[in-house]
Amino acid sequence: MTMAATSHDTPDETAQTEIRRQPDRTYWLLAPGVLWMLLFLVAPILMMVYVSFWTQTTFKIEPTLTLKSWITFFTSDTYLGALWTTIRIWLIVLVSTLLVGYPAALFVGLFVRNKTLSTALLVLCVIPFWTSFLIRVLAWRPMLGKEGAINMILMKLGVVTQPIEVLLFSELSVIIGMTQIYCVFMVGPIAFMLGRIDPSVIEAAQDLGAGFWRIFRTVILPLSMPGVVVGAIFVSVMVLGEFATSAALSGRKVNLLGNIIVTQVGSLKWAFAAVAGVVLTILMGAVVAALLRVVDLRKEL
Amino acid sequence: MRGRVPGAELVGTEVTSVLQLKNVHKAFAGVPALAGIDAALADDAYISLLGPSGAGKTTLLRVIAGFEQPDGGGSPLAGRRLDGRPPHERGIGFVFQNFALFPHLSVAQNIAFGLENRAVGPVTDRKVVAARVRDIIGLVGLSGLEDRAVTQISGGQKQRVALARTLVTEPSMVLLDEPLGALDANLRTRMRGELRTIRERCGVTFLHVTGSESEALAMGDTVLVLDRGRIAQSADAGTLYSRPASADVARFLNCYNIFSGEIAGDSFRSPVGTLALGGLRQTSGNPAYAIRYDRVSIRPGDAAAAGDEVRIEGSFVASEYSGAAINSFFPLDDGRVFEVETHLSHAAPEAYEERGRYALVWKREDALVFV
Repeated sequence: MTMAATSHDTPDETAQTEIRRQPDRTYWLLAPGVLWMLLFLVAPILMMVYVSFWTQTTFKIEPTLTLKSWITFFTSDTYLGALWTTIRIWLIVLVSTLLVGYPAALFVGLFVRNKTLSTALLVLCVIPFWTSFLIRVLAWRPMLGKEGAINMILMKLGVVTQPIEVLLFSELSVIIGMTQIYCVFMVGPIAFMLGRIDPSVIEAAQDLGAGFWRIFRTVILPLSMPGVVVGAIFVSVMVLGEFATSAALSGRKVNLLGNIIVTQVGSLKWAFAAVAGVVLTILMGAVVAALLRVVDLRKEL
Repeated sequence: MRGRVPGAELVGTEVTSVLQLKNVHKAFAGVPALAGIDAALADDAYISLLGPSGAGKTTLLRVIAGFEQPDGGGSPLAGRRLDGRPPHERGIGFVFQNFALFPHLSVAQNIAFGLENRAVGPVTDRKVVAARVRDIIGLVGLSGLEDRAVTQISGGQKQRVALARTLVTEPSMVLLDEPLGALDANLRTRMRGELRTIRERCGVTFLHVTGSESEALAMGDTVLVLDRGRIAQSADAGTLYSRPASADVARFLNCYNIFSGEIAGDSFRSPVGTLALGGLRQTSGNPAYAIRYDRVSIRPGDAAAAGDEVRIEGSFVASEYSGAAINSFFPLDDGRVFEVETHLSHAAPEAYEERGRYALVWKREDALVFV
């Protein structure tokens, strides 16, 4: 009897210790990711914050701590202007991607009930990404230019007599370009959330007597909010860090924080570039935090 | 002409029926789902709609609710024509099989949805909405759960929310699509009684779709049997059970042994032999002979039949104990399995010998004959 009990206990105990040891071992799964992030994300950010307090002279930079770069940034009209331009363009692009993207997502996610067809339509949205970013941006020049496709068509049709100059090398062209490039990041998450709405929930609302707009406002929109928030986070993070679109389409008239950083790094003004970088990082963090407050994603997804 | 609902045409209707279906047709990609439905649904009644899967039950319900347009035929509701009207103008409540509650709203908000958001005569006074929601919550027994999220309540409670959400809008009738299908067995039995009680309290006609014959018989004041897109029989539960209108209806009831064959004089020629006739003959267009499981007695193989009895032979394979009764299975000589139900209140279960030969005997007049 005792023998039996002992031989029974031993494997039991081993099994238990193994389970107890499991968490320690599973933490190792995180090691590569954590290491990577520490080396290439956390360390550079800390370095950036540190460098922003270094002393910058015309030709060299010294690790003597000073607030000079920060004071210059917040007293200069150029830098503050770039900050406001960044915020303004971000808000306009966010709204325009939502206005263009939501109806498209509504069609793909809700009204196309055939799963294969809706997947095919989403793939169609991604096709522009098969070409390089630079080509996609530069392709807008022959479209929007003074002698570009849009102006030519409008003049042939007799809608305008003079080419519309504001189309290219203006804030408008930057907004048009960014909306086109980032719209798909809005469509995807929203279409995904809309596709998850049970069709019978909408039928139930119909049966209870609600018309289409009521159903949209009270059922469809609230249920798609997590998708809107995720899409908004994607678009915000990408637009706030943008510099290439404005460089290619604004003719240097629109300076975003990203453009400032590129110019400052180009002229070896590391401290100013670091200040702009820290400001941009804080701005992005604040925007993402604010968007996450709109919807509790952990609950909804 | 004043006081009429706009667009409504008065049509002749009996006072007692709430909904009349006249020759309703519907086909999907050329395959008929409804092949001419004619029925009058009584006011203030519980009606079950029984049919095997694929019989067109859900299609019929969706046509009545307005989610699908019929290809032909009409369905006047309380004298108003419904054809072509969108679902939200019909005044018909629909309880979905999966309940289809609004996942982002609380129990009370779900129930208030119809009152607040309907296109025709929405209730804007919050106090009125709150009072009516409170009344209906009491009626269906959900008091105390008003502010819960609908994702945090049990299946039976979700069922009640779905029902309350519909009832609060005071529909002319309520359609329930397999309402007990998503519940576990215990809860299903309890909700049967609850559904009947709730219906009696509000006096609205319920049309309850189910694939379960016991549920249909237990719930319905009237049972409609749907087969291949047609109403095969419409009767009260007792009549349906003892006098099914055709062999197909008898088959859905799951309590008849059915033989096909033909009438020859005063006997029925079937694959298992010639069966003497003596019972009621019913016209159904498809000759068949049916005997209820519980009308058959099992005797030793050498026992002879009395003059008014019919006797066939089979060998015992297995039996199934279900508490109050025991079902025994006898393969006949042509391979088909014959089932006998013995009620244990009459006698203790007998032990039959496996593969043993037994005589299966019933009274001539107990059999149903379809010609």
